[in-house]
Amino acid sequence: MLAIDARDVEKTFRSGWPRRRETHALRGVSLAVERGSIFGLLGPNGAGKTTLLSILATLLTPDRGTITVLGHDIVRDAALLRRRLNMASGRPSFLWSLRVGEIVAFYGRLYGLSGRALRARVDGLIEICELGPYRRVPYSDLSTGLKQRVALAKSLVNDPELLFLDEPTLGLDPDVSVRVRAHIARLRREQGITIVLTTHYMREADELCDEIAFIKGGQILARGTPGELKRQIRLGEVIALRLDPARVPWLAETPGVLRCVEVDGWVECTVDEAEKRLPDILRALHADGVVIRNVQVREPELEEVFVELAK
Amino acid sequence: MSWRNELLAVWAVTLRNALMGARNVFFFFELLFWPIVGVLSIGLMSRFLELTEAQASFVLVGTIALSIVNVCQLEVAYAVLLDVWSKSLKHQFLAPIGIRHLTLGSWVVGMVRSLAVFVLLAALGRWAFGFHVLQPGWVALLTFLLGCFLTAWVVGVAVCALITLFGNRAEAFAWASVNLVLVLAGIYYPISVLPDFIAAIAKAIPLTYFLDAYRSHYGFESEFGAPIATGLALSLLYAALAHWAFLAAIQRARRTGLLLKMSE
Repeated sequence: MLAIDARDVEKTFRSGWPRRRETHALRGVSLAVERGSIFGLLGPNGAGKTTLLSILATLLTPDRGTITVLGHDIVRDAALLRRRLNMASGRPSFLWSLRVGEIVAFYGRLYGLSGRALRARVDGLIEICELGPYRRVPYSDLSTGLKQRVALAKSLVNDPELLFLDEPTLGLDPDVSVRVRAHIARLRREQGITIVLTTHYMREADELCDEIAFIKGGQILARGTPGELKRQIRLGEVIALRLDPARVPWLAETPGVLRCVEVDGWVECTVDEAEKRLPDILRALHADGVVIRNVQVREPELEEVFVELAK
Repeated sequence: MSWRNELLAVWAVTLRNALMGARNVFFFFELLFWPIVGVLSIGLMSRFLELTEAQASFVLVGTIALSIVNVCQLEVAYAVLLDVWSKSLKHQFLAPIGIRHLTLGSWVVGMVRSLAVFVLLAALGRWAFGFHVLQPGWVALLTFLLGCFLTAWVVGVAVCALITLFGNRAEAFAWASVNLVLVLAGIYYPISVLPDFIAAIAKAIPLTYFLDAYRSHYGFESEFGAPIATGLALSLLYAALAHWAFLAAIQRARRTGLLLKMSE
């Protein structure tokens, strides 16, 4: 069952006067997101990720195309949908003088919570997002990471069926990013929330997403599971070797080897098919008297796929 | 949406604005400084010009009305301005909130604040210039205050619509235009002294009628047949128009992307 079914979505922004400038943010984007999945939108700056997310979250209206979210038309039933979805941004901003607890409670009231139910929800979210010590701290006094946690708490206040996360770990310390990612995975696992996230971090997408779409210039260039995308782009597979001596110049000339690079004491050979080429490479190294200390075979990083597509 | 949820959303905005107001020392300054300066300077000028008690009451009613409307309309405009200044507009409009909740919630805080200003100015006027706000009676006073609050609601919502339509760079224009409208409402003079075409504009402003009705209790003959009914009818008409304009401005901002731009 689909949480999002978008077809041929177009959006153009017009600005400037008297000379009008047109920016085609989305050019016929089609997208289907399964309920209960984590879907990643990847792309360079200005690709149209945030525009697409904002349209799906009912913040913007599309110029053309049809979009059904949770079974409802996004334009006609926008008010109804706003009760069932929510969004957190990596660049959050709330009223500066309000305290953490007051911000979450304010949004809770807008979703119809009051009295004990509101207090319980605010307490729960503050605990989940590890904001307990900061409950009475004004928003303006919080660090970037804490502000993002407030945004996450706010985005969960209505127990959403569909959650949009725009760059959720942007600018966070690595340890905090790891905890936020773990929390996102837990939300899907334990509550079955459908999550659509945009990110610049390939590792994040690789780790979290069931499916990924690459968007550039307002168009989706490729989509699929992380594994499918890596195969689709035909980047080959990587055989990483720790050798003694460390450099073996002839390795790059071996049949089936597309390129070889040295990274942190490892020789990384990208080959067309690892299963077929590995025995030949090992045999040739052994014959040349090279000592093989370690061997690893892996798929290309998602980042390499992204670089390839962004070209 | 149920009545309970409607009231909760209005209460959420009321509480939010009240908390923001209570935590900003400049809000108190804004609440007290200009209204007190206004009453003192107009009262002292009336003494210097040796105005009669009735004439002094006439101009002091105008000064108090201007302060009430200004304080209350500013609070209504905060419905949007607080979020524009803190760049949280997109969070606001992602939630199931209607402009009725935003404006009514802000209006409630505006009425409380401007009522506090009114009590203070009334006491100051009585003590310093012998001006008695209750001379016309409770009904006339409450009708006058209602007229000021309704005018403030219309003006505040119009400012919200202008800012949502043109972005926060339109703030100065929005304030200037609404204040011009207020000055035309015969704040310090009867509109019969205005040139015909300006008097025609003044007759389209609800506050003109509420001022006229209240001043008639201080010995000035009413310039209109049924000022309160006319003022209420005009207020309701403009309230509906301002509401529609704000709604249209929000829909346009969703279309043009201004809603997102104002959150960046």
